[in-house]
Amino acid sequence: MVFASLSRILLFTWQSFWRNFWLSLVTITVIGLTFISINFLIIMNVATDSALKIVRQKVDVSIYFKNDTGETKIQEVQTFLSSLTQVDSVRLITQNEALESFRQLHKDDPVIIQSLEELSTNPLGSTLVVKAKDTNEYAAIIAALEGSEFNDLILRKNFDDHKTYIEQINSFAANIRLVGIISTVVFSVIALLIVFNTIRVAVYTHRREIGIMKLVGATNWFISSPFLLESVLYGLLSALVAVPLIYLMLNFSQPYLNAFFQSGEVNLVGYFNKNFWKIFGLETLAIITLSMLSSAVAIRRYLKV
Amino acid sequence: MIIFRNVVKTYPPNTIALKNINLHIKPKEFVSIVGRSGTGKTTMAKIMIAEERPTKGRVIIGGWDITNIKSNEVPVLRRQIGVVFQDFKLLPKKTIFENVAFALEVSGQTRAHIHGIVPQVLKIVDLADKEQRYPLQLSGGEQQRVAIARALVHRPKILIADEPTGNLDSYNTKGIIDLLLKINEFGTTVVLVTHNREVVNAIQRRVITVENGEIVSDQRIGKYII
Repeated sequence: MVFASLSRILLFTWQSFWRNFWLSLVTITVIGLTFISINFLIIMNVATDSALKIVRQKVDVSIYFKNDTGETKIQEVQTFLSSLTQVDSVRLITQNEALESFRQLHKDDPVIIQSLEELSTNPLGSTLVVKAKDTNEYAAIIAALEGSEFNDLILRKNFDDHKTYIEQINSFAANIRLVGIISTVVFSVIALLIVFNTIRVAVYTHRREIGIMKLVGATNWFISSPFLLESVLYGLLSALVAVPLIYLMLNFSQPYLNAFFQSGEVNLVGYFNKNFWKIFGLETLAIITLSMLSSAVAIRRYLKV
Repeated sequence: MIIFRNVVKTYPPNTIALKNINLHIKPKEFVSIVGRSGTGKTTMAKIMIAEERPTKGRVIIGGWDITNIKSNEVPVLRRQIGVVFQDFKLLPKKTIFENVAFALEVSGQTRAHIHGIVPQVLKIVDLADKEQRYPLQLSGGEQQRVAIARALVHRPKILIADEPTGNLDSYNTKGIIDLLLKINEFGTTVVLVTHNREVVNAIQRRVITVENGEIVSDQRIGKYII
């Protein structure tokens, strides 16, 4: 009996889906579009995060040493800075490398090159280029350095020049994150309302049939089950339609992103591949749950016969 | 078979649909409940299938006191009563066969049993050759015959027909009434709710007349008196 009921419910689900083809198609389209909209938001968030990461990676602070500072002392400073938890990397630019770099930079300016030739000694000191793990940490790193025994060795730091720039990036990043959170919440609420309303309309069109089934002696469970299963079908099919379209969108936009950022670091396809089940699995599950809940809520009204 | 004891039905705020109805319909009877529109006869039919609950009094159907029937017991009651409505109430997206079979499927009957009995019932209502059609592909009279087939398929002891000829022409009306009489001859109690004078006068069976929510006449072989 249970098996017979189960097979009947599956059959009724399929019949209802197929015999109301246009309604099913419209429902799947609307849920599919909601699916795409949510992922469009994810794409925007990932692209923005990656863009910020690229910008942050370009930020560093250079510490210029006095000319007479020995290499041993500089290496001590390098070790000291490397030991700080906030520091990601410390790169040493020796006096010779600094001079060579300076020459390269000004190779088209004969006056500067001439002046360098006239000097008997290297006028440039060694430099340590410090990259923090987070742009917020530069102030702490500089403070640690200034409070150390090595402070007297330092000629100047370009932190103050970068300070405003770093603060602007941090503030921009915080704003972007806030906008991301707000838009995610707003989009989620919109998606929830769209899915709820779409399923409600689908159930509404069957309201007379639901009443008839009740009058013929069908139990609430027997009537509701095909509708709930149909909601699962809507969720699964909309995901099946939306996912290839999202990948099409990703593959289409990837070359433009690469060109815009002049790097391949904003890898959307890679991100979605890596998090495929986390993104699409959870989304499908959420949409199916929401569809079933909407269906259950909508059908309750018409079961009171 | 059907007993109404001092049944009152009111609707908020202060509409009285039925006033102290007392009624006893015996097994195998054919009873017509007649009256003008809005007199409460459909309310009586709705109470019999637990679509409405009485405000006061008691209702007993086939020995079962359904006055305070629980929601989960309603489907069980409805599977024991066949009901035919004025607007047929067929499932538009199911074929004729599926519509009739649905009444058996809800009670968990086997596929083999369903495929054995449904064609037989469709043959009784003369629709054997149209079982794969959809309701909208049939005439009004044919649709009502499908509804009767669905009401009969689980062999109920009671058949309630609420204005079954209300949407039909005189030719189809006669066909439906003849069918109801035939069903009654096989031993099913038939309750016909109608305001069709010609139909009631032609049947020559028990007639209960309802006016303003009260039974004003109950004749063993009656006529439409209003």
